[in-house]
Amino acid sequence: MIQLAHVTRTYGATRAVDDVSLRIERGEIVALVGENGAGKTTLMRVAAGEIAADAGTVAAGGRVELVHQHFMLVNQLTIAENLALPHPGFRFTTRRGIEREAEQTIAASGIELRDVARRVAELSVGERSKLELIKAIARKPATLILDEPTSVLTPTETEELFRVMRRLADAGTAVVFISHKLPEVLAIAQRIVVMRNGRVVAESRAAEANVVSLANTMTQSPFPPSGGKGVERRRGGEILAIVGVAGNGQAELAAKLRDEQPNAAHIPEDRTRDGIIAELTIAENLALRNERWNPRDAARHAERTIALYSIRASGPLQRAGDLSGGNQQKVILARELERRPKTIVAAEPTRGLDIEATRFVHEQLRAEAANGASILLITSDLDEAFALADAIQVIYRGRLSERLSPAEASEKIGRLMAGVA
Amino acid sequence: MFELLVSSIPLAIVASIPLLLAVEGELVVQRSGMINLGIEGMMLTAAMTAVLVAQTTHSLALGFAGGVAGALAIAALFGVLAITLRADQIVTGTAINLLALGGTSFIYREVQSLVQQVPQLRTDAVLPLAWLAIPLVLGAILWNSSFGLRLRACGENPEAVAATGRSVANYRWITLAIEALLVGIAGAYLALALSNGFAENMTAGRGFIALSIVIFGRWSIKGALLGTAIFGLTAAMQYALQAANRGIPFHLLLALPYVVTLLILCGVAGRVRAPENLGVRRR
Amino acid sequence: MSRVLSAVLAAVAALLLLAITAALFGHSPLALLSILVRSSVGSRFALEGTLLKSVPLLLTGLSVVIAFRAGVWNIGGEGQFIVGALAALVASRFGAIASLLAAMLAGAAWASIASAMRLWRNAPEVLTTILLNFTAIHLLGWSVNGPLREHAAQYPQTDLAAATLPPLASGVHSGVLLALAASVAVWWMLYRTMEGLRLRATGFNPFAARWAGIRVGSQLARAMAISGAVAGLAGGIELLGVTHRLFERFAAGYGYSGIAVALLAQLHPLATIASAFFFGALVTGAGELQRTADISAGVATFGQAVVILMLIVMDHVRTAR
Repeated sequence: MIQLAHVTRTYGATRAVDDVSLRIERGEIVALVGENGAGKTTLMRVAAGEIAADAGTVAAGGRVELVHQHFMLVNQLTIAENLALPHPGFRFTTRRGIEREAEQTIAASGIELRDVARRVAELSVGERSKLELIKAIARKPATLILDEPTSVLTPTETEELFRVMRRLADAGTAVVFISHKLPEVLAIAQRIVVMRNGRVVAESRAAEANVVSLANTMTQSPFPPSGGKGVERRRGGEILAIVGVAGNGQAELAAKLRDEQPNAAHIPEDRTRDGIIAELTIAENLALRNERWNPRDAARHAERTIALYSIRASGPLQRAGDLSGGNQQKVILARELERRPKTIVAAEPTRGLDIEATRFVHEQLRAEAANGASILLITSDLDEAFALADAIQVIYRGRLSERLSPAEASEKIGRLMAGVA
Repeated sequence: MFELLVSSIPLAIVASIPLLLAVEGELVVQRSGMINLGIEGMMLTAAMTAVLVAQTTHSLALGFAGGVAGALAIAALFGVLAITLRADQIVTGTAINLLALGGTSFIYREVQSLVQQVPQLRTDAVLPLAWLAIPLVLGAILWNSSFGLRLRACGENPEAVAATGRSVANYRWITLAIEALLVGIAGAYLALALSNGFAENMTAGRGFIALSIVIFGRWSIKGALLGTAIFGLTAAMQYALQAANRGIPFHLLLALPYVVTLLILCGVAGRVRAPENLGVRRR
Repeated sequence: MSRVLSAVLAAVAALLLLAITAALFGHSPLALLSILVRSSVGSRFALEGTLLKSVPLLLTGLSVVIAFRAGVWNIGGEGQFIVGALAALVASRFGAIASLLAAMLAGAAWASIASAMRLWRNAPEVLTTILLNFTAIHLLGWSVNGPLREHAAQYPQTDLAAATLPPLASGVHSGVLLALAASVAVWWMLYRTMEGLRLRATGFNPFAARWAGIRVGSQLARAMAISGAVAGLAGGIELLGVTHRLFERFAAGYGYSGIAVALLAQLHPLATIASAFFFGALVTGAGELQRTADISAGVATFGQAVVILMLIVMDHVRTAR
């Protein structure tokens, strides 16, 4: 079990966690829900002892294990070697020896993962997620915290995970499950805690909650309605959504299209690494696709763009790296869209953005489609896909399904994402 | 041609000992995720300190120890800059090479008064050490021990190692110490056994050739041995060709080792898979 | 702390450390510093000597600035310098301009060997450029002892080049103007052209550059070629303006020194002028130290290294949070 009392944690000027008190009992399954940036991950990192609280106390009855959203695996080592990594002290090992140990550890966890001689690089995303879970369970924690564990799992794998969670809870482990996927949360959790802007704003028994009421509590404004396209498309513009669990070849697809279609607009998935050049100014970033470079013209053009897109910046000469995520995305969008492209490939364009920025991006995409552009939207967010798409294809292990209408897709999506025909 | 090749083998085995030791040392360092371009300067410094100590103490053993001490000093400098200050490893390594080049020339000229006969090495314990013992020991440590597993993980994904509560920096410091030990012996051997003392810039690029062989050998022990053997053989043939007076100009023969190394780097066909985190600055 | 302050502190720290090291070996630090200053900037003659040394340093420094800004590790300035000079010698019969153009082409070509190996074989240019340096040094050795050896066949050197650079004032050749012009040209290229913006973008973040439509592979190759050309030009100017013939130790570390020059200038093309002058003074002074105080001229190389190391430390202090 674990008890947090008046925990506060600030990062610079923001209170990521603001006076939160929470108690989780042995054998409970508690879901911690909230929007991006609500403070869920920070709170749990404090609970796990990874970071310190600036105020308040944490009392844990036993070991606390946190399974991160981003994998802490060594890709070039095998499953067995990854499991052997935390082993204390110095000892000589043999390949067969650690493989046998790994098999034992996996068997004890109750999770299925075959062939421990495989390198992590060869595993599917779901298998990697399982490995992370096995690592955590092997340390026999009293409290297990899972951060967005289902974001990379197919519906079948999610069911498997829930079975493991129930088994652990029945054996006495306290399980905390961070998620923003409300339907799942209702399926597995006994108690639901809602966070917003660093505070706990609601707590309820799962039996008493429903999706809409939860969603409203999570956000300040009403949940954007899904479905509905509004304006009729003219001149052949359309939005084709490629949906799938992250890690099934989306990045490779986007990169391939980038190389094959240099005249199209490309919005990369990883904004900080692939989208913005942090050391260059906003004006320079906007000008990267230009033929000519003239600092004064570029600055003037950047000023216009900043106004047009409502970018929060101190001026055209501000370092692009200093902007917030949403504003950086606007710069990338502006740069790509001002070429009036006929084709747009947008990969996870609203990842990590808040409601307002997300709405802006969706508006831009819809506007471009209305003007006749054909848009390929690669996303793992089903809500986004169904909100925008005229047609849907599912990607699984690098292969695309047939084209489906949104209606067909909503029926088949679960199976297709799991790779079942 | 074939006789030239065969007759070059004994020379190749002995003459490439400094190179081999350097390859072995750099291999361990790179497996932990760092690139030490300054290995050239390290070996040069070791050569000088080995000679100075040997000359003043008239003891070969102390001379070798002196070589290791010199190498450790350079390793410490590199470590402070690249590990503690997280500086760019290429720039740091280049600076160290310049430092060693200028420094050794300066210091050696200052202590010219000490120039005496350098005691010659008679027993050759270093040969089996470099070609047999060290490869076996390093191989066992890197691939058959928990320490080696974590060390290799540092070179692939240091965050994963840090997540187990261990210090990546400590692992890298240890690899630098191992490298300094090996390169110290290499520099001492070069000056005391293979040559007649110290000469300006006597390492002549061996450090860079070692770096190339590490890559060619795909960061493995077997590859290190193979690569050094191939290189050593062609380098030794340089002397055989000279002696055989085949009419190849002397200076072009001097260029041969470097051209061969360039070819070796070309021969690494296809995608070479370096440790994923090699040379990446930790934020 | 501003970057200019960092640079000045690094230079001063280097001189101090040099003096301290000399003191450790029994030399008077004040005497050392006074010889350095006097022989490099203390008289018209000294200044001319310093200027002559600064010209190749300015150009090799610019070469490194271009490369490092693009994100390529061109450590091959030494080899490109030599090859440039060789080409300049051979082409000197066609006049100074043709000679210098040949020098630039040769430097570009030599650097492009490393680019090609990187592009097609993934060979790291940090190593290939260094290996090419050694190769070029021995190529020079072969040339001056063999095919290009002087007719008198007395020393291992070539005959005089058929062209020279016209002198400006007594002792200073017009190569100085060329070098200054090159500095401005590089600045203009980097900050006033699209090629320069793309080059800088690639150097900061090659991934994002690719997504923005920049062909990173050819961008890097072009940067290497231009970098090599400038280093080659340095060799050609040194030949036509100063030495007039080639001999074995022709390059004398100018290529490697370019790295220190570029880093002290914080990779800014115009600041490279001041940086090159500083190192030119250091080299000139070190030469005098060797002649009069029997201190190895290697102190200049040592000094360059200390400057770079100080810059690393300053950088860390400056960006520490």
